[in-house]
Formats: sequence, C-alpha cells, structure tokens
Amino acid sequence: MTLSATRHQAPDEATALEDFHGREWTDGLPVVIPTEERVEAVLAAEATDPDVIIGTIEPGGGQATVEKIAINAVMAGCLPEHFPVVLAAVRAVCDPDFDINNVQSTTHAMGPVIIVNGPAREVCGPIVSGTGALGPGHRANASIGRALRLVLMNIGGARPVHGDMASLGQPGKFTCCLAEAEEASPWPPLHTAFGYDADQSAVTLVGVDSPHSVMHNTSADDPEAPERILRVVAASIANAGANNTQIGNGPVIVALNPLHAAVLAAAGLSREAVCERLANMAVVPQSVLQDVRVRRRVADGDANGDLPTLRGPGDIVLIVAGDPGMYSAVFSAGLAGSTLPVHAAIDFAFSCELPAPQSA
Amino acid sequence: MRDGAIFAKAGLPAVAIVTELFATQAEFVARAAGIPALPRYVLPHPCSGTGDENLTRVAREAVPGIIDLLEGREL
Repeated sequence: MTLSATRHQAPDEATALEDFHGREWTDGLPVVIPTEERVEAVLAAEATDPDVIIGTIEPGGGQATVEKIAINAVMAGCLPEHFPVVLAAVRAVCDPDFDINNVQSTTHAMGPVIIVNGPAREVCGPIVSGTGALGPGHRANASIGRALRLVLMNIGGARPVHGDMASLGQPGKFTCCLAEAEEASPWPPLHTAFGYDADQSAVTLVGVDSPHSVMHNTSADDPEAPERILRVVAASIANAGANNTQIGNGPVIVALNPLHAAVLAAAGLSREAVCERLANMAVVPQSVLQDVRVRRRVADGDANGDLPTLRGPGDIVLIVAGDPGMYSAVFSAGLAGSTLPVHAAIDFAFSCELPAPQSA
Repeated sequence: MRDGAIFAKAGLPAVAIVTELFATQAEFVARAAGIPALPRYVLPHPCSGTGDENLTRVAREAVPGIIDLLEGREL
C-alpha cells in the first residue's frame, strides 16, 4: 500500500506527540501517533483506494481523502473496525444539505451528532446505545466521534478563532457518537425512515446543540403518561433560550429512553405520529416571546399567539437510546434553516481478517 | 467572507464586512477561498446589541472606507 502523506520523523512517540500539539494537529488531548503501520491497518478495513476524495470540508476547503481520514481515525484512537463508520460520517457531513461550512463556523455551540443504525453497531463497534452512550467509557463511541472532530479540525480547518467561531463551544464537540437502541425500541430503526433496509447499516448526522436532559418519572397507573411525556419533551424543544425559539427552523434530536418510547408506543403512537404531535406541541406562547423579546418572530404566531419552533415533523430526528428510566434528552437546534439531517450507508464488507491493533 | 469571495470570483466589486472578533477567521476564510487579498472592512466588536445610536455612528464612520475599498482604493 502506498501512502501519500508527508512523513515526519521523531526520536520517540512522546516527542512526536509534543510536535503534534505544537503544530495544532490535536484537539488538545493526546493522540495516537499515526505511524505508517497503524494507518495501513485502518485502511485495510476499507476496500476504497486511499487516494479517493470523499469530499471537501469547509471552511478550510481541505480535501478529505480516505488516507487523510484514516490518519485522523488513528489519531482519535480508532480500531480498524471503527473506520467504516468514520468514513460514512465524513461522507455524510460533505453532503451539501448538512452545510458544513456554517456548522463549523457558527458562533453557536453546535456540532455534529453521529447516530449509528444496523449491524455496524456490533460489527464496527460495539457502538453503545444504552447506559451512558454519550458519556465516557465506550471506546468505539468515543473514538469514532473524535475521529470526525479531528477530520473537521485538521482537514476542514475548524480551529478556534480561525475556522470555528463558537462563542463558548460545548464538550460534545470533542466527540458525539451513539447507536440507536434498536432492540429496545418499539419502532422500526431510524435509518429505515430514510429508505435503508433494517439489515443495512447507516449513519445519520444532525448538527445540533448539546443534549438537554428531559426528566419524566412515568407511572403505569397514570393514563395521562403519554401526554405528559409529549408535553415535557415539547416544552424542552421550545425552551426560551433555544435557537429555534429565537430564530426557528432548525432540526432537533429527540432521544427517548426505551421506557418513555414504550409508553408512547403503547398509546398507539408510531415514530411518525410522535414527531407530528411534538411538532404541533413545541410552540412558544406569546407571553414568553414578549418576555424574552423575540421581536422578529412575534408577528409569526398563530391565532393563539403561539409560535411554532419547528417547520414540521421532519425537523425532528427521533431515536431511542439510553437506559429505560426517567431521562430522555432533547438536542436543540443549531443553525436556522440551514443545516439538515443527512445520512450515509456504512460499507464494512471486510474482505479479510483485520490486522491486530497497533497499540500506542 | 465567503459571500464576498463568491462576488469577487464573479467579477463584481466586493468588500467583506466583519467585526474585530472575526478578523482572524476572515483571514483564514479568504486564504481558503483562494482570494487572500479579498478586501474587507473591520468594524468594532460587538456591534450587535449596542443600540441604534452607536450603530448609526459605526455605519457613518464605515461607509466612506467601504466605498474606498469598492472603488479599489486602499484604506
């Protein structure tokens, strides 16, 4: 295998790591040094030629070749089997609908969230969907999300003050990847809504704010439980400080825990019906609009003076994730009417046994 | 900046207007867009939220410089 990247020499890995930090090639945390052997091992997980260009990543306009993506995947700590998911995620952010230029450059704290569906959750992982899926401790989740971030920084130029103008930022921009809890979900997997078969694998990427916890302690004796869940999720989407309240028209993620999802499904609600209800319920009352002085939107309210925060059910990416219990989550919208959810197939037709990982 | 680059590439006079906070980013985007010398006019930061009186003052001060840049004169 012939690699195109420039070779750099260092007497040892500790010196190389300091060199990487000095050149601003890291996210601030230590990285695995991408030696030729490690990069080749990751590339072996894909049949694609290393020189193939997956896309151009703005605002820096760097060309994301398979090789460059592999280098960043190694740096992030990815194992070879994680790489097909990283590649699919990069392919997805290069979809013009995602508007990567604005996602990277905005002053808002948004970043891409990677949602994985299909057999890749196990074959390319395990990519966790349950306990603490977005927290620390899950190697594939952490490494895959971090690989995308390093690609966005090193190929896309999203360095603070240069290409990334997030006023404060948020820790989800280090890494943000989880699987959907398909087995615990009462509904068909998310990616089937985009035309994939359930036995195919795909990533869905959404540019959003950090997850906001949504608490509801449901009771089997409460006939109002489904409505209460919808109300609290809708109110969380339409919180006063959210971009969608102030500006509107951005996609959100709703991550229902399996218990909340089961309560809604038992009430006869499909995934689409839940999204439809939430889109209708996630409104901001006129009184709140006046209180927070959203001047530009007051005139847009409906007959009751309530202002929708979403264009329709299509603005909600609804997944089932986390532990069954009290906590679901809403990821508020990022850009107004610019970025859209995107998806890409994960190809992991491993043609041979993957080489053993080269540990740092 | 990117809008300015699009106009410039189309052969139209263009000046990108950014506030001080975005000056470094403007430099980066201009280079990435292949027009490192893309004219830009830098406003104080913040402008947003500083009130109509201040915005009017900033605008009055900026307009002559923006016209100079549009007409090809250096500031």
